[in-house]
Amino acid sequence: MTSHARYERLLAKAIAAPDPVAALRAAARARSTPPSLRKALARADPDGIRIAALLVARLRFERVLRGSAEASDWFARDPAAFTESFRRYHHEVPLQDFFPAAEARRFSTWSRL
Amino acid sequence: MVALGFTLQPEDEFLRRCDRILRAVDYFEIAPETTWYETPDGELRENGFSRRFNAIAEELPGRFFVAHGVGFSLGTASRRDAARRRRWLDRVALDHARFRFRWYTDHLGASSLDGAPVTLPLPLPMTAESARVVRARLADLQTVVPRVGVENSVSYFLLGAPLDEARFLDRVVAGARVHLLLDLHNLYTMSVNFGFDTEDYLRQLNLSKVIEVHLSGGADSDGAWLLSGRVMRLDSHDAAIPDEVWRLAERVLPRCPNLRGVTVERMEGTVSARDVAPLAAEVRRARRLVEKLR
Repeated sequence: MTSHARYERLLAKAIAAPDPVAALRAAARARSTPPSLRKALARADPDGIRIAALLVARLRFERVLRGSAEASDWFARDPAAFTESFRRYHHEVPLQDFFPAAEARRFSTWSRL
Repeated sequence: MVALGFTLQPEDEFLRRCDRILRAVDYFEIAPETTWYETPDGELRENGFSRRFNAIAEELPGRFFVAHGVGFSLGTASRRDAARRRRWLDRVALDHARFRFRWYTDHLGASSLDGAPVTLPLPLPMTAESARVVRARLADLQTVVPRVGVENSVSYFLLGAPLDEARFLDRVVAGARVHLLLDLHNLYTMSVNFGFDTEDYLRQLNLSKVIEVHLSGGADSDGAWLLSGRVMRLDSHDAAIPDEVWRLAERVLPRCPNLRGVTVERMEGTVSARDVAPLAAEVRRARRLVEKLR
Protein backbone atom coordinates (compact mmCIF):
# COMPACT_ATOMS: atom_id res chain seq x y z
CA MET A 1 0.00 0.00 0.00
CA THR A 2 1.37 3.45 -0.87
CA SER A 3 1.96 6.09 1.76
CA HIS A 4 -0.93 8.16 0.37
CA ALA A 5 -3.33 5.20 0.44
CA ARG A 6 -2.31 4.47 4.02
CA TYR A 7 -3.01 8.08 4.92
CA GLU A 8 -6.48 7.96 3.36
CA ARG A 9 -7.33 4.81 5.27
CA LEU A 10 -6.12 5.99 8.68
CA LEU A 11 -7.67 9.46 8.37
CA ALA A 12 -11.02 8.00 7.25
CA LYS A 13 -11.10 5.97 10.47
CA ALA A 14 -9.79 8.69 12.75
CA ILE A 15 -11.93 11.59 11.60
CA ALA A 16 -15.20 9.90 12.64
CA ALA A 17 -13.77 8.33 15.82
CA PRO A 18 -15.09 9.45 19.23
CA ASP A 19 -11.63 10.93 19.92
CA PRO A 20 -10.10 11.83 16.55
CA VAL A 21 -6.92 13.27 18.10
CA ALA A 22 -6.21 10.05 20.03
CA ALA A 23 -6.95 8.02 16.90
CA LEU A 24 -4.52 10.06 14.79
CA ARG A 25 -1.86 10.02 17.50
CA ALA A 26 -2.22 6.22 17.70
CA ALA A 27 -1.79 6.04 13.92
CA ALA A 28 1.29 8.24 14.27
CA ARG A 29 2.80 5.63 16.61
CA ALA A 30 1.93 2.62 14.47
CA ARG A 31 4.88 0.88 12.83
CA SER A 32 2.88 0.39 9.64
CA THR A 33 2.72 4.19 9.18
CA PRO A 34 5.60 5.53 7.06
CA PRO A 35 8.10 7.56 9.15
CA SER A 36 7.52 10.88 7.36
CA LEU A 37 3.76 10.54 7.80
CA ARG A 38 4.21 9.57 11.48
CA LYS A 39 6.14 12.77 12.04
CA ALA A 40 3.56 14.93 10.24
CA LEU A 41 0.63 13.34 12.09
CA ALA A 42 2.32 13.75 15.46
CA ARG A 43 2.73 17.48 14.80
CA ALA A 44 -0.81 18.12 13.53
CA ASP A 45 -2.69 20.74 15.55
CA PRO A 46 -5.06 18.87 17.95
CA ASP A 47 -7.60 21.72 18.02
CA GLY A 48 -7.61 21.79 14.24
CA ILE A 49 -8.17 18.02 14.08
CA ARG A 50 -11.13 18.38 16.48
CA ILE A 51 -12.67 21.25 14.52
CA ALA A 52 -12.29 19.31 11.25
CA ALA A 53 -13.92 16.24 12.85
CA LEU A 54 -16.76 18.40 14.19
CA LEU A 55 -17.37 19.89 10.76
CA VAL A 56 -17.37 16.44 9.13
CA ALA A 57 -19.99 15.37 11.69
CA ARG A 58 -21.98 18.56 11.18
CA LEU A 59 -22.09 18.10 7.41
CA ARG A 60 -23.33 14.54 7.95
CA PHE A 61 -25.92 15.76 10.45
CA GLU A 62 -27.16 18.26 7.86
CA ARG A 63 -27.34 15.53 5.20
CA VAL A 64 -29.59 13.46 7.44
CA LEU A 65 -31.90 16.41 8.12
CA ARG A 66 -32.02 17.47 4.46
CA GLY A 67 -32.62 13.94 3.27
CA SER A 68 -35.55 13.04 5.48
CA ALA A 69 -38.63 14.92 6.61
CA GLU A 70 -39.03 12.27 9.32
CA ALA A 71 -35.57 12.98 10.74
CA SER A 72 -36.16 16.71 10.47
CA ASP A 73 -39.45 16.36 12.39
CA TRP A 74 -37.75 14.28 15.06
CA PHE A 75 -35.04 16.93 15.48
CA ALA A 76 -37.67 19.71 15.75
CA ARG A 77 -39.65 17.68 18.31
CA ASP A 78 -36.77 16.50 20.50
CA PRO A 79 -33.39 17.97 19.52
CA ALA A 80 -31.50 16.42 22.45
CA ALA A 81 -32.69 12.87 21.75
CA PHE A 82 -32.11 13.24 18.01
CA THR A 83 -28.62 14.65 18.51
CA GLU A 84 -27.66 11.85 20.89
CA SER A 85 -28.95 9.29 18.41
CA PHE A 86 -27.02 10.95 15.60
CA ARG A 87 -23.86 11.01 17.72
CA ARG A 88 -24.04 7.23 18.17
CA TYR A 89 -24.83 6.74 14.47
CA HIS A 90 -21.81 8.82 13.45
CA HIS A 91 -19.44 6.79 15.60
CA GLU A 92 -20.94 3.40 14.79
CA VAL A 93 -21.68 3.64 11.06
CA PRO A 94 -18.82 4.36 8.66
CA LEU A 95 -19.22 7.29 6.29
CA GLN A 96 -20.57 5.97 2.99
CA ASP A 97 -22.95 8.55 1.49
CA PHE A 98 -22.34 11.86 -0.19
CA PHE A 99 -25.96 12.71 -0.95
CA PRO A 100 -28.63 13.51 1.66
CA ALA A 101 -31.24 10.94 0.60
CA ALA A 102 -28.85 7.99 0.94
CA GLU A 103 -27.47 9.25 4.27
CA ALA A 104 -30.99 9.73 5.60
CA ARG A 105 -32.04 6.23 4.47
CA ARG A 106 -29.02 4.74 6.24
CA PHE A 107 -29.73 6.70 9.42
CA SER A 108 -33.40 5.72 9.32
CA THR A 109 -32.54 2.04 8.94
CA TRP A 110 -29.95 2.23 11.74
CA SER A 111 -32.22 4.11 14.15
CA ARG A 112 -34.95 1.47 13.79
CA LEU A 113 -32.63 -1.42 14.61
CA MET B 1 -10.63 41.09 -19.72
CA VAL B 2 -11.41 39.97 -16.18
CA ALA B 3 -15.05 39.04 -15.62
CA LEU B 4 -17.13 39.29 -12.46
CA GLY B 5 -19.02 36.26 -11.19
CA PHE B 6 -21.43 35.22 -8.49
CA THR B 7 -22.35 31.82 -7.07
CA LEU B 8 -25.68 30.22 -7.89
CA GLN B 9 -26.89 28.25 -4.89
CA PRO B 10 -29.56 25.55 -4.93
CA GLU B 11 -32.13 27.45 -2.90
CA ASP B 12 -35.25 29.22 -4.20
CA GLU B 13 -35.07 31.99 -1.60
CA PHE B 14 -31.40 32.67 -2.38
CA LEU B 15 -32.05 32.90 -6.12
CA ARG B 16 -35.10 35.12 -5.67
CA ARG B 17 -33.38 37.51 -3.26
CA CYS B 18 -30.23 37.68 -5.37
CA ASP B 19 -32.08 38.31 -8.64
CA ARG B 20 -30.72 41.84 -9.11
CA ILE B 21 -27.22 40.71 -8.22
CA LEU B 22 -27.37 37.98 -10.86
CA ARG B 23 -28.19 40.63 -13.45
CA ALA B 24 -25.09 42.62 -12.46
CA VAL B 25 -22.48 39.93 -13.10
CA ASP B 26 -20.80 38.39 -16.15
CA TYR B 27 -20.77 34.74 -15.16
CA PHE B 28 -22.21 32.23 -12.74
CA GLU B 29 -20.34 29.72 -10.64
CA ILE B 30 -22.07 26.48 -9.76
CA ALA B 31 -21.10 23.41 -7.76
CA PRO B 32 -22.22 20.72 -10.22
CA GLU B 33 -22.96 18.18 -7.47
CA THR B 34 -25.56 20.52 -5.94
CA THR B 35 -27.60 20.04 -9.12
CA TRP B 36 -27.71 16.24 -8.76
CA TYR B 37 -29.45 13.63 -6.74
CA GLU B 38 -28.52 9.99 -6.41
CA THR B 39 -31.01 7.23 -7.11
CA PRO B 40 -31.03 4.23 -4.73
CA ASP B 41 -29.04 2.25 -7.32
CA GLY B 42 -26.35 4.92 -7.43
CA GLU B 43 -27.21 6.75 -10.63
CA LEU B 44 -26.57 10.51 -10.56
CA ARG B 45 -29.46 12.47 -12.06
CA GLU B 46 -30.10 16.17 -12.39
CA ASN B 47 -32.35 17.78 -9.82
CA GLY B 48 -34.59 20.77 -10.48
CA PHE B 49 -31.80 23.29 -9.93
CA SER B 50 -29.94 22.20 -13.04
CA ARG B 51 -32.89 23.36 -15.15
CA ARG B 52 -33.37 26.42 -12.94
CA PHE B 53 -29.77 27.57 -13.37
CA ASN B 54 -30.01 27.02 -17.09
CA ALA B 55 -33.21 29.06 -17.20
CA ILE B 56 -31.44 31.93 -15.39
CA ALA B 57 -28.72 31.91 -18.04
CA GLU B 58 -31.30 31.87 -20.83
CA GLU B 59 -33.01 34.86 -19.26
CA LEU B 60 -29.68 36.68 -18.93
CA PRO B 61 -27.87 36.06 -22.21
CA GLY B 62 -24.15 36.66 -22.51
CA ARG B 63 -23.29 35.12 -19.17
CA PHE B 64 -21.14 32.02 -18.96
CA PHE B 65 -20.70 29.27 -16.37
CA VAL B 66 -17.75 28.00 -14.39
CA ALA B 67 -17.85 24.89 -12.22
CA HIS B 68 -16.50 24.83 -8.69
CA GLY B 69 -17.05 21.57 -6.86
CA VAL B 70 -16.15 20.19 -3.49
CA GLY B 71 -16.96 16.50 -3.93
CA PHE B 72 -14.75 15.18 -6.71
CA SER B 73 -11.91 14.89 -4.21
CA LEU B 74 -8.66 15.82 -5.91
CA GLY B 75 -6.61 14.22 -3.15
CA THR B 76 -8.06 10.73 -3.45
CA ALA B 77 -6.16 7.83 -4.94
CA SER B 78 -8.09 4.95 -3.40
CA ARG B 79 -9.30 2.21 -5.72
CA ARG B 80 -12.36 1.94 -3.50
CA ASP B 81 -13.34 5.37 -4.80
CA ALA B 82 -12.66 4.67 -8.48
CA ALA B 83 -16.21 3.67 -9.45
CA ARG B 84 -17.62 6.74 -7.72
CA ARG B 85 -15.17 9.00 -9.57
CA ARG B 86 -16.15 7.41 -12.89
CA ARG B 87 -19.84 8.04 -12.22
CA TRP B 88 -18.98 11.58 -11.15
CA LEU B 89 -17.10 12.31 -14.38
CA ASP B 90 -19.89 10.84 -16.49
CA ARG B 91 -22.36 13.17 -14.76
CA VAL B 92 -20.03 16.18 -15.12
CA ALA B 93 -19.86 15.41 -18.86
CA LEU B 94 -23.65 15.73 -19.08
CA ASP B 95 -23.55 19.00 -17.14
CA HIS B 96 -20.75 20.30 -19.32
CA ALA B 97 -22.89 19.60 -22.40
CA ARG B 98 -25.56 21.82 -20.86
CA PHE B 99 -23.51 24.58 -19.20
CA ARG B 100 -20.32 24.65 -21.33
CA PHE B 101 -18.12 25.36 -18.32
CA ARG B 102 -15.21 27.67 -19.13
CA TRP B 103 -13.22 25.90 -16.42
CA TYR B 104 -13.72 23.42 -13.60
CA THR B 105 -12.09 23.80 -10.21
CA ASP B 106 -12.19 21.83 -6.99
CA HIS B 107 -10.54 22.15 -3.61
CA LEU B 108 -7.07 21.13 -2.53
CA GLY B 109 -7.56 18.16 -0.22
CA ALA B 110 -9.48 14.93 0.02
CA SER B 111 -13.22 15.05 0.53
CA SER B 112 -13.42 11.29 0.00
CA LEU B 113 -11.01 9.08 1.92
CA ASP B 114 -10.54 5.42 1.03
CA GLY B 115 -14.09 5.38 -0.31
CA ALA B 116 -15.58 7.30 2.65
CA PRO B 117 -17.16 10.64 1.66
CA VAL B 118 -16.09 12.98 4.45
CA THR B 119 -17.37 15.87 2.24
CA LEU B 120 -15.04 18.41 3.90
CA PRO B 121 -11.72 18.73 2.04
CA LEU B 122 -9.14 17.39 4.49
CA PRO B 123 -5.44 18.19 4.23
CA LEU B 124 -2.94 16.09 2.32
CA PRO B 125 0.64 15.25 3.19
CA MET B 126 2.61 17.79 1.16
CA THR B 127 4.69 15.15 -0.58
CA ALA B 128 5.64 14.41 -4.17
CA GLU B 129 3.33 11.39 -4.04
CA SER B 130 0.30 13.45 -2.97
CA ALA B 131 1.09 16.06 -5.65
CA ARG B 132 1.07 13.23 -8.23
CA VAL B 133 -2.34 12.09 -6.93
CA VAL B 134 -3.83 15.59 -7.30
CA ARG B 135 -2.32 15.98 -10.78
CA ALA B 136 -3.83 12.64 -11.79
CA ARG B 137 -7.28 13.69 -10.57
CA LEU B 138 -7.00 17.02 -12.39
CA ALA B 139 -6.05 15.07 -15.53
CA ASP B 140 -9.20 12.96 -15.01
CA LEU B 141 -11.25 16.15 -14.90
CA GLN B 142 -9.54 17.42 -18.04
CA THR B 143 -10.95 14.47 -19.97
CA VAL B 144 -14.31 16.24 -19.55
CA VAL B 145 -13.56 19.95 -19.09
CA PRO B 146 -10.22 20.84 -20.70
CA ARG B 147 -9.37 23.78 -18.44
CA VAL B 148 -9.22 22.90 -14.74
CA GLY B 149 -7.89 24.23 -11.47
CA VAL B 150 -7.40 23.75 -7.78
CA GLU B 151 -8.38 26.09 -4.97
CA ASN B 152 -6.31 26.81 -1.89
CA SER B 153 -8.58 25.33 0.78
CA VAL B 154 -9.02 26.05 4.44
CA SER B 155 -7.56 23.22 6.47
CA TYR B 156 -7.93 23.28 10.21
CA PHE B 157 -4.87 21.11 10.67
CA LEU B 158 -1.92 20.60 8.37
CA LEU B 159 0.62 17.90 7.64
CA GLY B 160 3.53 20.25 7.18
CA ALA B 161 4.31 23.93 7.57
CA PRO B 162 1.56 26.32 6.41
CA LEU B 163 3.85 28.15 4.02
CA ASP B 164 4.86 24.86 2.35
CA GLU B 165 1.38 24.73 0.82
CA ALA B 166 2.21 27.43 -1.73
CA ARG B 167 5.10 25.36 -3.09
CA PHE B 168 2.91 22.23 -3.01
CA LEU B 169 0.29 24.03 -5.09
CA ASP B 170 2.94 25.05 -7.59
CA ARG B 171 3.86 21.39 -8.10
CA VAL B 172 0.19 20.50 -8.54
CA VAL B 173 -0.59 23.10 -11.22
CA ALA B 174 2.52 22.63 -13.31
CA GLY B 175 0.62 21.17 -16.30
CA ALA B 176 -0.91 22.87 -19.31
CA ARG B 177 -4.43 24.28 -18.82
CA VAL B 178 -4.15 23.60 -15.09
CA HIS B 179 -4.69 26.67 -12.94
CA LEU B 180 -4.98 28.05 -9.46
CA LEU B 181 -8.16 29.37 -7.94
CA LEU B 182 -6.97 31.75 -5.27
CA ASP B 183 -9.57 32.09 -2.53
CA LEU B 184 -8.58 35.17 -0.57
CA HIS B 185 -10.85 34.47 2.37
CA ASN B 186 -9.34 31.01 2.64
CA LEU B 187 -5.87 32.54 2.60
CA TYR B 188 -6.90 35.08 5.24
CA THR B 189 -8.50 32.34 7.36
CA MET B 190 -5.37 30.19 7.21
CA SER B 191 -3.20 33.18 8.15
CA VAL B 192 -5.40 33.83 11.19
CA ASN B 193 -5.56 30.20 12.31
CA PHE B 194 -1.90 29.38 11.71
CA GLY B 195 -0.37 32.80 12.39
CA PHE B 196 1.47 33.61 9.19
CA ASP B 197 1.71 36.67 6.97
CA THR B 198 -0.37 36.36 3.80
CA GLU B 199 2.37 38.11 1.86
CA ASP B 200 4.88 35.40 2.81
CA TYR B 201 2.47 32.83 1.31
CA LEU B 202 1.77 34.89 -1.81
CA ARG B 203 5.49 35.43 -2.46
CA GLN B 204 5.88 31.66 -2.86
CA LEU B 205 2.86 31.21 -5.10
CA ASN B 206 3.11 31.36 -8.88
CA LEU B 207 0.49 34.04 -9.41
CA SER B 208 0.70 33.68 -13.19
CA LYS B 209 -1.24 30.43 -12.69
CA VAL B 210 -4.23 32.15 -11.06
CA ILE B 211 -7.30 31.97 -13.29
CA GLU B 212 -9.94 32.94 -10.72
CA VAL B 213 -10.10 34.72 -7.38
CA HIS B 214 -12.78 34.13 -4.76
CA LEU B 215 -14.06 36.81 -2.42
CA SER B 216 -16.19 35.72 0.51
CA GLY B 217 -16.68 36.05 4.23
CA GLY B 218 -16.73 33.71 7.16
CA ALA B 219 -17.19 33.50 10.90
CA ASP B 220 -15.38 32.42 14.03
CA SER B 221 -16.02 29.07 15.68
CA ASP B 222 -17.85 28.96 18.98
CA GLY B 223 -15.38 28.92 21.86
CA ALA B 224 -17.42 26.12 23.45
CA TRP B 225 -16.61 23.76 20.58
CA LEU B 226 -13.14 23.05 21.92
CA LEU B 227 -12.12 22.09 25.44
CA SER B 228 -9.22 24.51 25.06
CA GLY B 229 -11.72 27.34 24.45
CA ARG B 230 -9.76 28.29 21.36
CA VAL B 231 -11.61 30.07 18.57
CA MET B 232 -10.72 29.35 14.97
CA ARG B 233 -11.85 31.21 11.89
CA LEU B 234 -14.13 29.19 9.64
CA ASP B 235 -14.52 29.07 5.88
CA SER B 236 -18.28 29.41 6.20
CA HIS B 237 -19.15 31.88 3.41
CA ASP B 238 -21.99 33.18 5.54
CA ALA B 239 -21.08 36.79 6.28
CA ALA B 240 -19.77 40.00 4.78
CA ILE B 241 -16.38 40.02 3.08
CA PRO B 242 -13.97 41.31 5.75
CA ASP B 243 -11.86 44.43 5.19
CA GLU B 244 -8.71 42.31 5.33
CA VAL B 245 -9.92 40.33 2.31
CA TRP B 246 -10.75 43.50 0.36
CA ARG B 247 -7.27 44.85 1.11
CA LEU B 248 -5.76 41.56 -0.02
CA ALA B 249 -7.77 41.74 -3.24
CA GLU B 250 -6.53 45.25 -3.97
CA ARG B 251 -2.94 44.05 -3.56
CA VAL B 252 -3.20 40.70 -5.30
CA LEU B 253 -5.45 41.14 -8.34
CA PRO B 254 -3.01 43.35 -10.26
CA ARG B 255 -0.31 40.70 -9.70
CA CYS B 256 -2.27 37.93 -11.46
CA PRO B 257 -1.55 38.45 -15.19
CA ASN B 258 -3.73 35.56 -16.40
CA LEU B 259 -6.71 36.20 -14.17
CA ARG B 260 -10.04 35.65 -15.94
CA GLY B 261 -12.62 35.93 -13.19
CA VAL B 262 -13.35 37.30 -9.73
CA THR B 263 -16.23 35.54 -8.00
CA VAL B 264 -18.21 36.76 -5.02
CA GLU B 265 -19.35 33.70 -3.08
CA ARG B 266 -22.13 33.29 -0.59
CA MET B 267 -23.70 30.14 0.87
CA GLU B 268 -27.35 29.26 0.60
CA GLY B 269 -29.36 29.86 3.76
CA THR B 270 -27.24 32.91 4.64
CA VAL B 271 -28.96 35.68 2.67
CA SER B 272 -31.85 37.21 4.58
CA ALA B 273 -33.87 40.14 3.19
CA ARG B 274 -31.64 42.60 5.05
CA ASP B 275 -28.46 41.01 3.65
CA VAL B 276 -29.38 41.70 0.04
CA ALA B 277 -28.39 45.39 -0.08
CA PRO B 278 -24.96 44.88 1.56
CA LEU B 279 -24.32 41.86 -0.66
CA ALA B 280 -25.22 43.90 -3.76
CA ALA B 281 -22.83 46.60 -2.52
CA GLU B 282 -20.07 43.97 -2.24
CA VAL B 283 -20.70 42.91 -5.82
CA ARG B 284 -20.49 46.56 -6.96
CA ARG B 285 -17.24 46.98 -5.03
CA ALA B 286 -15.86 43.82 -6.67
CA ARG B 287 -16.90 45.25 -10.04
CA ARG B 288 -14.89 48.41 -9.35
CA LEU B 289 -11.84 46.29 -8.52
CA VAL B 290 -12.22 44.32 -11.74
CA GLU B 291 -12.65 47.48 -13.81
CA LYS B 292 -9.41 48.88 -12.41
CA LEU B 293 -7.62 45.92 -14.05
CA ARG B 294 -8.72 46.88 -17.56
